[in-house]
Amino acid sequence: MSKQEFLEQLRKSLSGFPKGEVEERLSFYEEMIDDRIEEGLSEEEAIAAVGPVNTIVLQAVEETPLKTLVKERVMPKRRLAVWEIILLVLGSPIWLSLIIAGAAVLFSLYAVLWSLVITFWAVFVSFVAGAFGGIAAGIFLCARGDVTQGLLFVSAGLVLCGLSIYTFYLCKAATKGLVGCSAKLAIGVKNLFRRKGEA
Amino acid sequence: MDAQLKRGLLDICVLAAIKDEDSYGYKIIKDLKPYAELSESTLYTILKRLEAASMLTVRTAEHDGRLRKYYHITDVGHRRLEEFREEWKEVMKIYRFVAKEENDNE
Repeated sequence: MSKQEFLEQLRKSLSGFPKGEVEERLSFYEEMIDDRIEEGLSEEEAIAAVGPVNTIVLQAVEETPLKTLVKERVMPKRRLAVWEIILLVLGSPIWLSLIIAGAAVLFSLYAVLWSLVITFWAVFVSFVAGAFGGIAAGIFLCARGDVTQGLLFVSAGLVLCGLSIYTFYLCKAATKGLVGCSAKLAIGVKNLFRRKGEA
Repeated sequence: MDAQLKRGLLDICVLAAIKDEDSYGYKIIKDLKPYAELSESTLYTILKRLEAASMLTVRTAEHDGRLRKYYHITDVGHRRLEEFREEWKEVMKIYRFVAKEENDNE
């Protein structure tokens, strides 16, 4: 791959970023490649040292706030005509409510996932409470002379104790998993607003 | 190393690399190489961050028929380096304590 090809590929992958930033990044990488070539590396080696396009783009996406990407994606490149503005305003009862509804659906899906995790934790807490309650009630009954019933309560408490240990790990895994998913989701949403492969 | 800590340290490294004379991207990476591995993308972000914090200024100069960006440290940048040296004295005190504990255990 030649330097020009590399820069062209990078430009394509960075479309969706503000124009000024794309130019700035491109000139930065071009300078890096030129400096390496000047030092005696071949064009091919210099490009390889700067790193694959994908890695550069991924890092750029992670560092750029979502707001910037959305703005770049949604703002039209030219000024709107009068009739377009009128249509946008007149149509707002329809498109605005559709967008709000869409966002609400997505948000509720996400909320459902979190409520699932909360449910797991609630089960865990009730197991712990049951374990303590059962053991305490069992000891109380034993002290009153009701040994058979008391032992039954204690053993039920111990079983809940064991179950709560298992559920604790389940809860922890579920929470960790969802937190990880949220981070990936954030990158996914950002990627959504990037125009991929559009020159 | 902790990502947050590393990020802060790399900022300082870049400031230190330009503290005596103005430098350019590739030279900064080369100068830091024996001490810290720094990728192009990371350097780009750090330079942007330092520029936004007015710790350095950028000028473009011609070199060998092409343009090259030179980075110049500002007073704010110098002050940050000075702060870092002060902060690090405390960190080193803690480090000596921790290292001593380990030696005693051996």
